[in-house]
Amino acid sequence: MTQIPLSYPTGQGAVAVKRAQAPSFGAWGLRFIALTYLGAFILVPLIVIQVQGVRFGLDVFWQSITRPEATSAILLSLYTSAIMAALNTVIGTLTAYVLVRYRFPGKRLFNMLIDLPFAIPTLVIGVMLVLLYGPQTPIGRFFDTTLDIQILFAVPGIVLALLLVGYPFVIRAVQPVLLQMDFSQTEAAQTIGASAWTTFWRVIFPALRPAIVTGALLSFARSLGEFGSIIVVAGNIPMRSQMGTVYVYTQVEAGNLQAASSVSMVLLLIAFGVTVGIDLLKWRRHA
Amino acid sequence: MRETEARSPVAIALIIGVLGYAALLFIAPLLAMINGAFAKGLEPLLATFQDPSVIHAFQVTLLLSFAAVVINTLLGLTTAWVLVRHRFRGRNLFDTLVDIPFVFSPVIAGYAMIVLFGRNGWLAPPLFPIVFAFPGILLAKVFVSLPFIIREVQPVLEALTPEPEDAAYTIGASRWTTFRRVVLPEIWTALLYGIVLTFARAIGEFGAVTVISGNIEGYTETATSFVFRALNDRNNTGAYGVSVLLCLFSVVILIAMNALRGRIIHKEP
Amino acid sequence: MSIQLENIHKSYGTQRVVRNVSLHIETGELFVLLGASGSGKSTLLRLIAGLMMPDSGRILLNDRDVTHLSPQQRGTGFVFQNYSLFRHMTVAQNIEFGLSIRRVNRDERERRTAELLDLIGLAGYGERLPAQLSGGQQQRVALARALAYEPNVLLLDEPFGALDVKIRAQLRQSLYEIQRRLGVTTILVTHDQEEAFDIADRIGVIDQGQLLEVGTPASLYQHPKTMFTATFLGTTNLLNAQRNGTSVHIGDAHLPVPPDTDHLSGKSVQLLCRPEEITLFTAPDAANGYVIGRGHVESINFAGSMLRAVIRLQDATQSTVQASLLPADARTLALTVGQEVWVSIGSYHLLSAVEA
Repeated sequence: MTQIPLSYPTGQGAVAVKRAQAPSFGAWGLRFIALTYLGAFILVPLIVIQVQGVRFGLDVFWQSITRPEATSAILLSLYTSAIMAALNTVIGTLTAYVLVRYRFPGKRLFNMLIDLPFAIPTLVIGVMLVLLYGPQTPIGRFFDTTLDIQILFAVPGIVLALLLVGYPFVIRAVQPVLLQMDFSQTEAAQTIGASAWTTFWRVIFPALRPAIVTGALLSFARSLGEFGSIIVVAGNIPMRSQMGTVYVYTQVEAGNLQAASSVSMVLLLIAFGVTVGIDLLKWRRHA
Repeated sequence: MRETEARSPVAIALIIGVLGYAALLFIAPLLAMINGAFAKGLEPLLATFQDPSVIHAFQVTLLLSFAAVVINTLLGLTTAWVLVRHRFRGRNLFDTLVDIPFVFSPVIAGYAMIVLFGRNGWLAPPLFPIVFAFPGILLAKVFVSLPFIIREVQPVLEALTPEPEDAAYTIGASRWTTFRRVVLPEIWTALLYGIVLTFARAIGEFGAVTVISGNIEGYTETATSFVFRALNDRNNTGAYGVSVLLCLFSVVILIAMNALRGRIIHKEP
Repeated sequence: MSIQLENIHKSYGTQRVVRNVSLHIETGELFVLLGASGSGKSTLLRLIAGLMMPDSGRILLNDRDVTHLSPQQRGTGFVFQNYSLFRHMTVAQNIEFGLSIRRVNRDERERRTAELLDLIGLAGYGERLPAQLSGGQQQRVALARALAYEPNVLLLDEPFGALDVKIRAQLRQSLYEIQRRLGVTTILVTHDQEEAFDIADRIGVIDQGQLLEVGTPASLYQHPKTMFTATFLGTTNLLNAQRNGTSVHIGDAHLPVPPDTDHLSGKSVQLLCRPEEITLFTAPDAANGYVIGRGHVESINFAGSMLRAVIRLQDATQSTVQASLLPADARTLALTVGQEVWVSIGSYHLLSAVEA
């Protein structure tokens, strides 16, 4: 796996029968360490959130979920993440295509910069956006007064932050597939008479589809949990610009554990479901 | 797919479009932030960097991130090995678990820690406080950066043919010696890459730390939580200055990532 | 170091891969385990090396029971078919690996490595990396690496299988010379019958997990005990015949009984006759050997240094016989398709007509 962080589960049947089967108790020790590590750090929080979500009773859960602030927060998260994923799919695919297909000055530097959102703390990403698009900046003021669009502290700002955070996902998922692609297929299409667009749409794109879908889904799931940039960039006004994660944060700070639990559980379940879905797709393809 | 020179207008348009989008999306904000940091001149900036609470925050961040890297390296390597080389029921389930921290909101993770280790928590610790102290922050950093080493090392391990290790066993090398001298050199680049990613993620972690650390200045404040507090206190120079410094770290990490990525690609058969 | 296998069984799930194999190999012997793909021969080798554990049975090296010992503890040298060199180490580092983990000091390691490089004909290649070597060279390094720590047993799993024919022949000759020089007990696994004949002291024929028979190349070729061995070791003619107490009846001909066939007395047998043992004559009285009948030439194939002719016999069976002739003999006969010839055989063997 050469791109980050889109590493996928490596499928079943990893152990070839021909490997040395020398018996060792050390193997059991290693397994215990690994499983405890995963169990303690991942399984435990998963279970904790799920249990905490329903432990006060299902009707309490339902009540806290259906409170308008909670519902609106969850929906806002879903809505903005979906927009971001859709935009990112198109832009990411095109960017990957450009990176693989063409030579241009500064290409290596650009390829390096793609990983920037992974390396920068998300909070700092938020700070960066505020400094460029905030209401006191030229750009922000322009959009606000002239076009009557509020960027920061509103939905556009949120989507902007999510786009930044999720930028590398689709690109890094699609790039390796393109790199390994056999050029002879596109050449064959061209000799048959297909235009560049047809070649792309009917020969290249179908082969990329699984990678694109995976990248898009992963960026979607990631965005549902995004906090660092959102807390700076979103207005956090309940019912209008408060995201699910920020809602959880404010509820925890205020001590409303029931509200925090239920929304946490829902967000987590959705993200977890998406991840499992990606894995299932991957295994079915490899089966 | 091979590279070609961009000649057609469509190609040029695509390139400009893609680059322009990237520039607007993050290069411009990056520059704006650097500009904002220097807005009031060099002196307030330097004062920020000499502020003891800033220095302390960085120390906390770097120390705990380093510790998280060590933990995730040792345990992550073990886990990658077990997931690739062992066969057992539930292996696939555990394999899926590794991806969870990618999508598990850090805020929710912090909340889970409070539920577990908080004052009335399920596992309320008798001996030492976890939540509003170093152990909690460390746990958060380990959690968010957990998958990287595993996911980078796994495919490389899988691709290894069994013969060299079997040969080493027949020659008389113990399993540990074989791992050290035959396997490790093969996975070294991928491992290093994973370590760099882990470090970057651990440094940048914010959500969980904010929820649990209580942000006691001078004790459990990390670099990122300092920025958050500075923003709330309208200490713009402080916030922007530390942000720029964190960015600097990130750029160094980015360069390391790319150098290693290049080596991984070139090594592939 | 002698090797003894007693009643070895190994299965993968429900599939029996090695069935009740017992074998004794003498010290210093070059033993070849010969069989088709999937016959279990590689598995058997790995069991001896300790890379796998048998389900039941014992393995003894020099009368020491090693059945439950790890590969590290058995002191064998193993050469794989390919990909086994340590990619990131130089040739010299590969070879001295076994010495390095035995804490041999540096001077001694260097000396020994130089010695081995000489032995395998790669002097001066010490600083190269495996990727810079050809397949044949890599296998030679693998051999040197396995010999460096003076193992008691050398095991080779189709070591030349991935190489070109010419290189294969060169390498097996080198292997033979090295083995003779060092006197190390060696087991070589292969599916190549020519390879087995070239260098083996004894051959063990294995099929579907069972060790069918063991013997010198000549004895297995001339007096095989099973049909599989007979056909696996080279082309052969199998003709239906009947053996009574004193002679073998084939068609109208009577042939003397070959030795060691009393157990087949009174039974239907298959008469085994190699193509090179068949001679063709234009007139029956000119024939030497044992005439078995008359037939006409159905086809003639050019095979380089000799010709292969298929003769259809004119007796009741109408069976075909393959003969191989030297071009000179074919010229003397003026051999053509359709020609009527008399078929006589020289040396022959009998096999039971019904195989268990």
